[in-house]
Amino acid sequence: MSHTSGTAAADNGGTFGPEQAAALLDQTTQRARRKLQPSPPWLLATRAVMVLAALGVIWLSVRGQHPYKGPTAADIPVLIGFVVVNFAATVAVRARAVAGVSGRTRFSQGEIAVLVASFAVTVVAMAVLAADGVGLATYPTSVLVIPGLAWAALMAARRNRLEVAIGIAIVVMGILGAFAGPAGAWAVAAVGLCAVLLGNAVAVARHQHA
Amino acid sequence: MNGDGLDPLIHVPTRLKIVVTLAALPDGDGLSFTRLQDLLELTPGNLIIALRKLEEAGYLSSEKTRNGSAQKTTVTLTRQGRAALGAYTQTLRDLLGGL
Repeated sequence: MSHTSGTAAADNGGTFGPEQAAALLDQTTQRARRKLQPSPPWLLATRAVMVLAALGVIWLSVRGQHPYKGPTAADIPVLIGFVVVNFAATVAVRARAVAGVSGRTRFSQGEIAVLVASFAVTVVAMAVLAADGVGLATYPTSVLVIPGLAWAALMAARRNRLEVAIGIAIVVMGILGAFAGPAGAWAVAAVGLCAVLLGNAVAVARHQHA
Repeated sequence: MNGDGLDPLIHVPTRLKIVVTLAALPDGDGLSFTRLQDLLELTPGNLIIALRKLEEAGYLSSEKTRNGSAQKTTVTLTRQGRAALGAYTQTLRDLLGGL
C-alpha cells in the first residue's frame, strides 16, 4: 500500500478513514523497519565502499610484485584501520538499533561465542600454517572461510535465508581467492565483499519499502 | 468490527502505530516501554492507555522486570495481535481496491 494523507488530522480527533489508516500503516511500518534495522542499507553501502577501497589499495600495491611478497608496511595501517572502523561502526549502529529490543533480534551469548571462536580458530589455523612455512601472504582470502561458514550456520539456525546466502558467498569468495593467485586474491576479496555488501544493502532496502 | 469491517481495536491511530511497530520485530521479540515511546513520540500516559486496551484484547503481552530500583516493562505482540494486524491490513487492501 502506498498512500499520502493527513494522519495528523485523525490524531487530533478528525475522521480516520481507510486512506488515512493505510498511509499511517505504510509510514509507521517503514519508520519502524528503518529504526529497528541492525544493519541499515547506508551502513552496508558504506562498508562496501570502504572494503573496496581498503583491499583495492592493497591489491594495487601487490599486483606488480615479482616475486610476490605481500602487503607492504604502508598497507598494513590501511587494513587495520578498515577493520577497526568497520567493527566500531557496526557495533555502534547495531547497539542503537536494538536498544530496548529483547528476543531473537539480539545475538545470544552462545551465538556471540561461536562467532568469536570462528575468528579464534582462523587465527590458530593461520599460526599453524605459518609454522609449516605457509604464510598468510600466500592465501589472503582464506581467512574468510571459517567465519563465513560460522555465519552461514548461525543464520541457518535462525532460518534467515538472506544471511545464509551471504555467509556462503563469503566462503565461496575465500575459496575462489585461493585460485586467483596471492595478488589476485586481494582483488577477488575487494570486489567480492563489495558486491556481497551492496547486494545485502539492496535486499534490506527493498524489505524496508515492501 | 466497525462499518468498514476494520477491527476497531486497531483502527485508532495510536493503537495502529503500536501494533505496526511491534510487528516490525521478529515473531516473539519485545520492545521496552521507553523505546516504544521514543519511536512513536507519545506521552507515557497516552501510551499506557493504548497498551492497556490492546493487552486486554490479547493483542499484546507485557512483562515487568526489576533491575535494582529500576523497573523495565517489555511489550510483545502476541500471535493473536499479529493475526489481527494481518486481517486488518487485508481488509484495508480490499476497501482500497487492492492498492
